[in-house]
Amino acid sequence: MRQEKVPFYREALHDPTLASRYRSLKGAANLGIYLTDMAYAHATNNYQVAYEYLTSANRLSQLYGLSDMLSMERIRELDRLQDKPDSLQRLFSTYYAEIQDRLETTGQQALLRHMILGGWVESLHLTLHLQEKAPNKQGLADLIRLQKSLVPLMKKMYAIDTTYSEDSRIIFSHLSAIEAALSKIPDPATDASASTDPQKGLIRLDFEKSAPLSPQISTQLREKLQPLRQYLISV
Amino acid sequence: MKQTLVLLLFTISISAAHAQSSCAKLIPLCKASFIEDYSWDGRYWRAELYNGEKTEVYYTFFKGLRYRLIPCGSSDEKSPLRMRIYNANHVPLLDTGTQNARPYWDLELSSTQLLIIELYYPAGNGCAALIIGHKASDAIASKE
Repeated sequence: MRQEKVPFYREALHDPTLASRYRSLKGAANLGIYLTDMAYAHATNNYQVAYEYLTSANRLSQLYGLSDMLSMERIRELDRLQDKPDSLQRLFSTYYAEIQDRLETTGQQALLRHMILGGWVESLHLTLHLQEKAPNKQGLADLIRLQKSLVPLMKKMYAIDTTYSEDSRIIFSHLSAIEAALSKIPDPATDASASTDPQKGLIRLDFEKSAPLSPQISTQLREKLQPLRQYLISV
Repeated sequence: MKQTLVLLLFTISISAAHAQSSCAKLIPLCKASFIEDYSWDGRYWRAELYNGEKTEVYYTFFKGLRYRLIPCGSSDEKSPLRMRIYNANHVPLLDTGTQNARPYWDLELSSTQLLIIELYYPAGNGCAALIIGHKASDAIASKE
């Protein structure tokens, strides 16, 4: 997003004031959504908004025994880093990683999967919104194409308990609809020629150029994604 | 027989505990030694590998960034931890085992891709971790 120098659209973000109204599955999914909104605001240099979303994320994190991760000391650290985007980004990454780690080590993997889903849904939602406004940005089209590889992984996370979890069944069916919309995109170029520079320890992977993405496919994808996002953010 | 089994289990559990603790100690060292000016993504990918097991990390790599991949671990046979890079369809692209051993590799891609990084030891058991950092590629950095 930084490279593409995308603009900031506040209207595309989720409502941060709803944070206190979510519980369990939706709480975890919206934690992922708020963290993604925070990252987008941060990447577009809207630090005040990023901070607002961090506060919402923190409110939700209290539901899962994660509240100590955003201590007063860390908030002070965030304040100190307002003018240092790289350091702030590093701190955000650490925060996200710590949450993942804590959910894993406390046996809350089921919630972790919802958090990952929420983050993924929001990032695709934002990408599609940005692409609608600026259809010629190659980086955004690449990101949309990448979903062909990611959606099967998302489906795998939910396939295991569709027989006894209504939530998983609903999410799995939304993901299948998204996968069907993605199947209309020509396969991305994944064959690469690899070269190495042993002196520098550098590996370079050159992939073939992909065909342009048609606006109809983006529209269809948006139509399939919105019901899932709505399902996750509805109170 | 029973005694042998108990001894074997004891040895395995000691070795597993050793692998886990050695990895936990090693990771911060690997990171501090090799991350340099790359931004760490905040995650430790780690696993314990026994008898030729492999572990896979699915990771999205973006065009315009240079990544630093730091494989980190120790094995009971002192063999180096290696990486195989696959595309999203699991087609192998590169095996660092065919190159001279290095403590880390930098990686650049011509387009944004999901790649699968497989970590393995050519022989023996051990713990394996992967640390990933990134920074703007030289081409992007020179534009800015």
